[in-house]
Amino acid sequence: MMRRLERLKSWEGFLLAILILIVVFNIFTTPHYLQIQNQINLFQLHIEKIIIVVIMTFIIINAEIDLSVASVMGLAGCVMAYLFEQGVPFGWCLLAGLMTGVLAGLINGFMVAYVGLTSLIVTLAALIGFRGLAHVLLENRSVGNFPDWFDRLGQQPLIGPFPLAMIVFFVFLIIALIILQWSGAGRHVYIIGNNRQVARYSGVNVRRVKMTLYVVSGTVAAIAGLLLAARLGSMRGDTALGTELEVITMVVLGGVSIFGGTGTLFGVLLAILIILNLRNGMGLLNITGEIQTGVIGVLLILSVLGPNIWRGVRDAWNRRQRIQRMHVGEE
Amino acid sequence: MMQRVKRYFRPEQLRELSLVFLILLIFLFFGTQIEGYFSPRTFNRVTSDVAIIAVVAMGETLVLLTRNFDLSVGSIVGLTAFFTGKLLTFNPDLLPVGALLFAIGLGAALGTLNGVLVAYGKVPSLIVTLGTLAIYRSILVAFPAGTKNVVTQDLPQWLLDLGGMQLFSIGEFDIKPVVAVGLVMLVIFQLVTSYTRFGRRLYAIGSNPEAARVGGLPSQRIVLFAFILCGAMAGLAGFMFLVRYGNLTPAAAQGMELQGIAAAVVGGVSTLGGVGTMIGAMLGALMINLLQQSLLRWLVISTFWVGALLGLMILISVTIDAVIINRLRNIWTQQGLEINPVDETKVVNEKESHDA
Amino acid sequence: MFKKSMMLAVIFALLLAACAPAAAPTEAPVQPTEAPAQPTEPPAPSGEVVKATPGQALNMVFLPKNLGNAVFDEAHDGASEAAQELQNSAELQYLAPASGAAGTEQISIITNATTQGVNAIMISNNAGDQIAPAAQAARDSGIAVVTWDSPIPSAEGEQVFVAQVDFDETGTVMADMALDILGADGGKFAVLSASPDAANQNAWIAAMQEVLTDPKYASLELLDIVYGNDVSEDSYQQALALVDKYPDMELIMAPTTVGIAAAAKAMQDEGLCETVKVSGLGLPSEMASFVKNGCSPEFALWSFKDLGYLTYFLTYLIASGDLQGVEGEQFEAGRMGEYTITNDPTRDTGLRVLMGPFSKYDADNIDEAVNP
Repeated sequence: MMRRLERLKSWEGFLLAILILIVVFNIFTTPHYLQIQNQINLFQLHIEKIIIVVIMTFIIINAEIDLSVASVMGLAGCVMAYLFEQGVPFGWCLLAGLMTGVLAGLINGFMVAYVGLTSLIVTLAALIGFRGLAHVLLENRSVGNFPDWFDRLGQQPLIGPFPLAMIVFFVFLIIALIILQWSGAGRHVYIIGNNRQVARYSGVNVRRVKMTLYVVSGTVAAIAGLLLAARLGSMRGDTALGTELEVITMVVLGGVSIFGGTGTLFGVLLAILIILNLRNGMGLLNITGEIQTGVIGVLLILSVLGPNIWRGVRDAWNRRQRIQRMHVGEE
Repeated sequence: MMQRVKRYFRPEQLRELSLVFLILLIFLFFGTQIEGYFSPRTFNRVTSDVAIIAVVAMGETLVLLTRNFDLSVGSIVGLTAFFTGKLLTFNPDLLPVGALLFAIGLGAALGTLNGVLVAYGKVPSLIVTLGTLAIYRSILVAFPAGTKNVVTQDLPQWLLDLGGMQLFSIGEFDIKPVVAVGLVMLVIFQLVTSYTRFGRRLYAIGSNPEAARVGGLPSQRIVLFAFILCGAMAGLAGFMFLVRYGNLTPAAAQGMELQGIAAAVVGGVSTLGGVGTMIGAMLGALMINLLQQSLLRWLVISTFWVGALLGLMILISVTIDAVIINRLRNIWTQQGLEINPVDETKVVNEKESHDA
Repeated sequence: MFKKSMMLAVIFALLLAACAPAAAPTEAPVQPTEAPAQPTEPPAPSGEVVKATPGQALNMVFLPKNLGNAVFDEAHDGASEAAQELQNSAELQYLAPASGAAGTEQISIITNATTQGVNAIMISNNAGDQIAPAAQAARDSGIAVVTWDSPIPSAEGEQVFVAQVDFDETGTVMADMALDILGADGGKFAVLSASPDAANQNAWIAAMQEVLTDPKYASLELLDIVYGNDVSEDSYQQALALVDKYPDMELIMAPTTVGIAAAAKAMQDEGLCETVKVSGLGLPSEMASFVKNGCSPEFALWSFKDLGYLTYFLTYLIASGDLQGVEGEQFEAGRMGEYTITNDPTRDTGLRVLMGPFSKYDADNIDEAVNP
């Protein structure tokens, strides 16, 4: 246990070093990097994604996965937009959007925790199905003209230079940190991720924890979807398409094992900062999205491969030293 | 007699039968809904797409069996299709065999990179292939190859003919070259996985990596080989993709990794390793694709409903499938017969003890 | 420990910024001779034809919907030609998202361009109204925003739209081609579009549906509208599905270059070219063989090269402050002659510059179009 803690600490230190490197690189290559507005944009362009990263961390530590988050984002926004288009009072539209997320989470959670299906296939089907429903609702229309206050919340700063979505992110992050790293419930998430059987024997209600996580995941995705609707000012059927893999990338770069049980939110936060700064820096150098993703891919692999190679070299070196010492002793 | 049958078949193998049953159900249902559905035409229209996905899914299965993932197959398909297309654009005189070998070789090379990083670099496969999924796609986007697309006008005639050609026909059922390739691959890899030492080792490593290592299996080499084969299959699928569609954009085959994994998993291949067959993967591909193609042709619904219903029906079928398998497993247990040792919870335990 | 190291990182970063002369974030972007600030009261157009002053250094971004659509490369060629002619010493940035599935990448590109303080952005919009906040933010910081090929539906954040053709006319052209191909007694047809959210395709289809109510086209029946997302494989599958879904369908109308080529190949592969024809908007170099073998007897398009050229000229003029981007202004666009900024009659609000005309291609002129 102690050793694992040590390992994690060093992982976070390693991520921090990468982050500093990227920040320094950005400062030197792009004159606009340090502008306050750019620092806000850096978060704001991906803010909905990173809100979801926080809850996805819980799910992956719990040895499950939720591929449907992007579709739930889109669906929640589309439900809200559809009802708004039909003339329903806006407050109810927002509530309905939120409830969509809860319902989506209930379906996923039920299938995984109670029916016992693999989460990969359940949430993959949900990815297809919820996205499909979003298209059913809005077809080829784009629905906008939401109330002014809603657009303002999404597009303009709320407190100081910070827009609402950023505040939501940091609040979520703090709550998640407290729950995952310092509470009993958080320990249960780790225990289940490590070994489901042991968790059951030690009295953890595995099903309820999993169910809760999926419902929270759906709800958070819906909140993210509504925030996205506010930021973009209108909704379409394909909004937020295909963001699930980037969410997962951030979580695993943060040091969370895809088989569950390990990783911390600190690491994930560092991974978020790394990826956002990398994207921002490259964007300002006129490198477009797919290539940015490719560079992030290289970083993702190297971040695990590098330490592995280092460890291998070190071990080989130590062995040689030991052998040499033995020889010296013989003489 | 019944005992005999039960001794020969295990519930997990009967899973294929339950899939066949589901596919028949889908087929019968849409037969009542779509005009002219019960005709060779449906077969002719659907099989080419199924063949491409099935080849990807079979490659994916090899990797899944070893308890690894390959998320980069969609990008490999896109990359090989695109580069093979470009190669033929610039060298129209290249022999068909040359182009085919180029596609397979390129796919295998990309698979090798995945495999080396996983087997020898000790990087978890999900991280490696999540990375290469993005890297391979960005190579395709960034590569300065003239225009950023492949169009049929620039491709040699033989390649275009291959897409519409009928290799042979059984009655009115046309077998296109793409379909034939898919079938040949199915036979080869079903045989390889069930009867060769390599195949048995794939299962052994997947069901218990620790034991396999202690038992002296060259795990690293086998995992590497699984990734190479998976890449080569994706490369072959890339060639088939080029033959079928001709016109390509840099987004070609984007998302095919999820289709391939979905097909394999629906077909009974476990993401926890050691469980699954090639026939299963093929049936999974057939089921999902048949559903999708049939929904596209269903007059009752508008085009916007296809995604929603597809997701719902996949969910329903995996649920039905799970119920059927559980029922079968109970029958086996009641008869006092030894059950297949690969029981899901057990696998989970082993895996977790391994990781911890 | 974590907090402390974060603090350190920030302090470190700030220190570096203070020391590094190269990294002066206050450095103003290259300013045009006259900033295109929005005057509270735009001066009334003088009625003169404005000509461009070559040789200014204006940072301009050319942003198509996506990569891999050959028409956008042609438009880029046109824009580059104009850039050379105008001797703009700043390099033209051609930034394109790889896939057009969701338009969010365009939003990122516009936001980053705004941060960089470029002088102008030329957008073929693929994000519908969702791009409006980002475009508006660019406008607010004094950047000239011109759309081409596909406008911002609400016109919010956009100064002028360079329309390749009149969007209502596109409806008529498509209906005419359908009538041409199906003959006087008409028939049934379906539309294979790009993504369900493509603003220009949707506008064209709506215009065509409007036109179809005319008695002249009474013999035409529109069966269905499906979407291939401007991806070859999706378009191919959708085209084949249409054939099975509607056995009496005789024509697929695809108002997108990716869709028309994929549909034509699908019909050719299945040996259906005798019964189901393909038409719409296509690129001659991609459609030549399909015209010759009868799969696609007739289709239309405009010059994307000219569209890029015209867009660049207009944007250059607006960014340099020679044009205000208000109704009634006239300007000269190099080899293409004179144009006027007018209200866009095909949208509720917004200004446009109309290019045109349509070129129709069939067996008689396809060779000439491919190898002029």
